[in-house]
Amino acid sequence: MDLLSFVTPLFLTLIVSGTVIGIVFGSIPGLTATMAVAVCLPLTYSLGLNNGLGLLLGLYVGGISGGLVPAILLGIPGTPSSITTTFDGYPMAKRGEGERALRIGIVSSVVGGLISLAVLVLFAPLLADFAIDFSYVEKFLIILFALTVMAALSKDMLLGIFSGVLGIFISLIGTYDVSNGGNGKERLIPPGTEYWLQDGFSLLPVLIGLFGLAAILEEAELGVPKGQSMKDIKVGAHSRFSFSVFGGQIVNLVRSSLIGTFVGILPGVGGSAASILSYTNAKTFSRHPERFGKGEPAGIIASESGNNGLTGGALVPLLSLGIPGDSTTALLIGAFTLQGVQVGPLFISGNTETWNAMIVAMLIANVAMFVVMYLAIRWLALAVTIPKHILFPIILMMCVIGAYTINYGIMFDVWTLLIFGIGGWLMGKVGLEVAPFIIGFILGPSAEVYFVKTLESFGTLTIFFTKSWIAVVLWLLIAGSVATSVWMSRRHRRLDEG
Amino acid sequence: MADLFKVHINFATSQLIFPTIIACVLAVLGIAIAITHRHRIAGAGAHWRAIAGRMDKMRFFGAIGLTLVYFSTMQPVGNLWPNTGMGFLLTSIPFVFLCGVLFLHDRRPGNMIGLTVAALVAPTLVWWVFADLFFLTLP
Repeated sequence: MDLLSFVTPLFLTLIVSGTVIGIVFGSIPGLTATMAVAVCLPLTYSLGLNNGLGLLLGLYVGGISGGLVPAILLGIPGTPSSITTTFDGYPMAKRGEGERALRIGIVSSVVGGLISLAVLVLFAPLLADFAIDFSYVEKFLIILFALTVMAALSKDMLLGIFSGVLGIFISLIGTYDVSNGGNGKERLIPPGTEYWLQDGFSLLPVLIGLFGLAAILEEAELGVPKGQSMKDIKVGAHSRFSFSVFGGQIVNLVRSSLIGTFVGILPGVGGSAASILSYTNAKTFSRHPERFGKGEPAGIIASESGNNGLTGGALVPLLSLGIPGDSTTALLIGAFTLQGVQVGPLFISGNTETWNAMIVAMLIANVAMFVVMYLAIRWLALAVTIPKHILFPIILMMCVIGAYTINYGIMFDVWTLLIFGIGGWLMGKVGLEVAPFIIGFILGPSAEVYFVKTLESFGTLTIFFTKSWIAVVLWLLIAGSVATSVWMSRRHRRLDEG
Repeated sequence: MADLFKVHINFATSQLIFPTIIACVLAVLGIAIAITHRHRIAGAGAHWRAIAGRMDKMRFFGAIGLTLVYFSTMQPVGNLWPNTGMGFLLTSIPFVFLCGVLFLHDRRPGNMIGLTVAALVAPTLVWWVFADLFFLTLP
């Protein structure tokens, strides 16, 4: 069948391998799905787009799912998105129900992943069709909306906006690109660095630095805490699992999956927000909220279906608007860039085979994740014990390959990795947020083109308000997200003071 | 009133328009942060002292130092055997080993043997896959 001609043994092997590696990354506290994708990106150079995406999507699904293993067995979230899994998973493990909790988490993860995949299949083409007619005005406003949404959901509104705008500023370093209608002149380049910064900082070394090296530096700062030994881990192999645990939880499962998907669709919002929102909702609507935090299966169901719901949701804005839904999908832009493919409203209609390959890859990755984790449940604990002193230097070495090969062998890209690795560590210390920074960095050059070209064509600022009814709706959404930011910021301050 | 919103873009200097606007927005946000977070900024010294106090300085600065040496030596070593990726391989082996030793807590012979094997096998395997199998450019 031509429709599935891309489904080759290599394609399937890469998805399954990616899923397994992703699970291992997710299982090790300190390593994330984003880091797994960053480290494996260079592999996609030679694999082609469909095979490369198969590998990366497997890593994404596996990485998000693997976080539940240490969350349940050790009470340490493997990834930020599994933070709420610790609330009920670890108490269950402590009372000897570790295996049962793991199976509940795995089933919830696959349901969350599949529901979000269905939303992706249904929603992304519709949104892309709608966005095809967008002019530069609407495209610019979409980017502005994305930045305000990120700010609204940041820990600190002002610092969130600042991080995003800083990302835009740094993305503008270099030449005003002639291929985008620019005048080819340089700007913001410090004297003496013209040779290296003529084309600005490359995206991939920046991403690898922020998500690979910065994470390792944070671990080094803490003295690279020793990995767990098998003695510390109690799987609770004799705890019985039955699907009947989901009997009264269908609403919780579907609601949490949809919450996760919705959070994924919002640009720049990570999996931790998805799981926290899902968990809070499950607790609010539960008939026994007092059981939450003490080993309640409904808590694991909400958390895990919520964070896996993110996976499909985060691909919706990426594939329909060209705006990444989270930091991992931001890295996927790197894979598209490597293959010379542009994501945006025309992507799905112009790259049908790649779109189909991504859907099939997501489906297989979810199934593979379920099969691997469900069957190898007792082996999962081993992943937690992989020694970091061996893993971290190897990850650093892989980061170098990713950075060096992006522009076919430029050493400055390796130094970029170091600059942004240390920069990412510093950003965390001063309260700046990496996700808005990255989204700003990715969208900055497009925002510039849309803004300047609109003014060149129309010669007035009022066009941003009067171009179409869509522009008006987008302004209302922007105002709404700014108002939400202010309201949330005041609420947090009141809570802090109280 | 409509004239107030009119903008004329000079193409010759158009590369500066957006960066200037973004720089102004950053400055305004910076001032807003300085005002609203003044207490935190005033306590920044204590914040950094606390970070420095609990930091494992040897591992943190050691990792940065080793990475600096690793990146600095990669290209010169590679220039001795151009287009072979030897710069990557010959610097990665000691880097993985030394970084591993730095991060290792319990330096017993058993652990050191495991680390040595990893330091020899991992870079060689990665070099073979990328340089030999995928024909990627390595230093």
